[in-house]
Formats: sequence, structure tokens, C-alpha cells
Amino acid sequence: MNSLPLEGRSILFVGGKGGVGKSTTAAALALHLAESGEQILLVSTDPAHSLGDLFDTSVGDQKREIIPGLHALEIDPEQEIQRYLARVKSTMRHYVQPAMYSEIERQIELTRHSPGAEEAALMDRVTSLMEEGPTSHDRIIFDTAPTGHTLRLLALPEIMAAWTTGLLRSRERSASLGKAVDRLRGREEARGDELAWFDDVKEPATDERTQKIQEVLLERQQRFSRARRLLLDPKMTAFILVLIPEKLPILESEKMFKVLKRHKVPVAGVVVNRILPKNQTLGEFLESRRSQEAEYLERVEKAFAKLPRVQIPLLSHDVEGIDALREVAQHLEIDR
Amino acid sequence: MDWRDRLGRVGELLHEFYVVRHRGALARERRQEDDLFMLLVFSEMMGIENPSNYYTLELLPLLYEGFHEWHLRMGMDHSPLEHFRCC
Repeated sequence: MNSLPLEGRSILFVGGKGGVGKSTTAAALALHLAESGEQILLVSTDPAHSLGDLFDTSVGDQKREIIPGLHALEIDPEQEIQRYLARVKSTMRHYVQPAMYSEIERQIELTRHSPGAEEAALMDRVTSLMEEGPTSHDRIIFDTAPTGHTLRLLALPEIMAAWTTGLLRSRERSASLGKAVDRLRGREEARGDELAWFDDVKEPATDERTQKIQEVLLERQQRFSRARRLLLDPKMTAFILVLIPEKLPILESEKMFKVLKRHKVPVAGVVVNRILPKNQTLGEFLESRRSQEAEYLERVEKAFAKLPRVQIPLLSHDVEGIDALREVAQHLEIDR
Repeated sequence: MDWRDRLGRVGELLHEFYVVRHRGALARERRQEDDLFMLLVFSEMMGIENPSNYYTLELLPLLYEGFHEWHLRMGMDHSPLEHFRCC
């Protein structure tokens, strides 16, 4: 039970409380897999990106090669929003009279700063990377933002799929009522429209526009449900929880594990980071610390009894640069 | 116009009299469905929390032309959304 079962799983999420070493773990895992000959894409979704610092290089919104076999990118929601708004504006030019451009453009600009926009944009990018990633890489590893944010990200596809399904159903009811109206109209067409003034309801046009609304919604819905299916497929996806042997990180990981289970997201295992090194005398101060750590480790064992657990010792220096990441990686036991 | 034409005309009128009510009812129902759809899409602007505000933005260009009629039907002479000017 002391290695992470990652065989064939091409979408990995690394998550946990802030400051426990999520990015370090994700980067070490990525490096390890890349150096074993896999093509890896490492993606940071955390607004406070740190991949660049870890690899001692700059990483941006577009993927770039860090070492042969390892590409990385840090999602910038701002740029994703930009791309989306540009797309909406170009649809607008097809469907709206030029006189209305400025009004709609104003509305589009307001969305840029609306609550939830960044989250939604991030989610858009994550779902498209989840689909693209495995086509061009052996694995895609997400270094996720702190817990709450990530759980929301996992729940969103479900909420959104339900939402778009509701909207689509409404459109379908409307379309079938429209057809029924047309059928009753059949005779009238043969006769000319002289009695049309009887109708007190004007017909909404069943045209290209209606068709397009349907298309837009359908594409959204399919995209969300594809992401959801991928996320919940234990053959494709694995979530890795990172924590340190301290009270709050353990509590938070327990909560997170519960929520993941409730959403049926497959969890591959737990990485316990920064354990005081064994076989070394540490002095009185750190020895008392060690006995407290033992209690927490016991708690971790109980809380995650059914999960594989991997331990990484505290290092004597910061983890920065490829060599230090390799040092961490050698403790990551993986079945791949 | 002989009596057969006349009778045919009367038949047609009766048919129309019958059908038009149903047609009206169906069309009304459809309009209600469309109004509900508008409400769902524009709910965030009206202060109802909508998880998909960002995503429904791409529907805006497609729905904008129906927006004016919608808010009139909803009994609001002007756009109900202070930051969304219509008329």
C-alpha cells in the first residue's frame, strides 16, 4: 500500500491545503515521469503560480518545454476571458445590427469583471486541457489551487450540465410547440393569409438564430458532460492528496477526501510531505516535535486507511530547481 | 358565387374559428416557454444567482433582439436592468 497506483491514468490532479507542497509534489511527479520516458504536461491552476519558481525558469499561459518530455503551463484566467469575449464579439457581428453593437459590447465588458468570471474561465481551460492533454501527451498533471477552489471546480461540471440541460429542454419544448402551431397553419397557407389577424400571438421566428442558440447550448452541455465523465473515470483520472503531518492540513484533507468520495472522484492516494528524517538525531527540541508528529501520522493512517500513502521527508534545503525536485521524486513510489 | 362556394366559404370560416383558438393557445404557450428561457438566461442581471452567467454571455448576441419585446411583455416599460440599457 505504499505506492501510488497510476497505471494508465492519464489525468492526474494534485491537491491539498495551501502551503503543504502541492506544487512541489506535482512538479516532482512530473519530472519523475518525464525522466522515465513519458511525455508529460504539467498545468498549474493556482492563481498564485509557483511552477516557474520551482523549475527556476519562466512558465506562462502557453505550454513550453522545461526539459525533454516535460511541458508546463500556468493558466492565466485573464487571458482565457480575453479569448472568450473576443469570440462572443465576433458572433455578435453575425447576428446583431451594427446599431446595437455598442450596447452589447458594454455588456460583454461588464462580464469581464463579474463575480465568477475568472472561475468560469479557468474551468473552461481546464476542461479543454483535460480533453486535449491526453491526445498530445502521455499524461497531464494538474497542480490545483487550494482545496475550496478545487472542490468547486470539480462540482461545476455537474451544476453546469444540469443547467444547460434545463435550458435545452426549454428550447425543445418551444420548438415542438412551434411545430404544432405550423401544422394548424397548413390550411391557411393554401388559402392566403387573409385571416391571420385572428392570431393574437406573433410568431417568434424559427430561423438560423434559434438554431444557433440550440447549437451553442448543446456544445456547452456536451463539453461539461465530457469533462465530468473524464473526471469520474477511475481508469483515466486520479486525484492525489498532499498533506503535512500537522493538525489543520490533516483536517482539511479529511474534508476534501469526503467531498471527493461524495462526488465519486477517484482518489489514488495520499502524499505525506515534510516528515522529520528518520535515522538522525535531531536534538531535544525536534525530538519532542517528532513525538507529536508520530501522533499525527497515526491519525493520517486511520483517516486514509484505505488509500496508498507515500512519505516524503523534510529536506535540509528548499526545493528549488531540477536537482532538488529529483531528490523529492526519489521518494515518490509509483506504479505506472 | 354559387351556393357550393358559399357553403365552402362558411366551412372554411368555421374551421378557422375552431383552429385559431388552439393555434393561439399553443403559440401563447410557446411564448411563455421562450419568456421563461429569457428569464433563466438574464436572471443574473436581475439579481438571481445564476451559476452560468459567464457561459450564457455567448447567447446574448442571439437573444438581444427579442429582449425589448420580452421586457415589455413582462410589464416593464423600460429595461429592468439598470446596467443593461434597452429603451
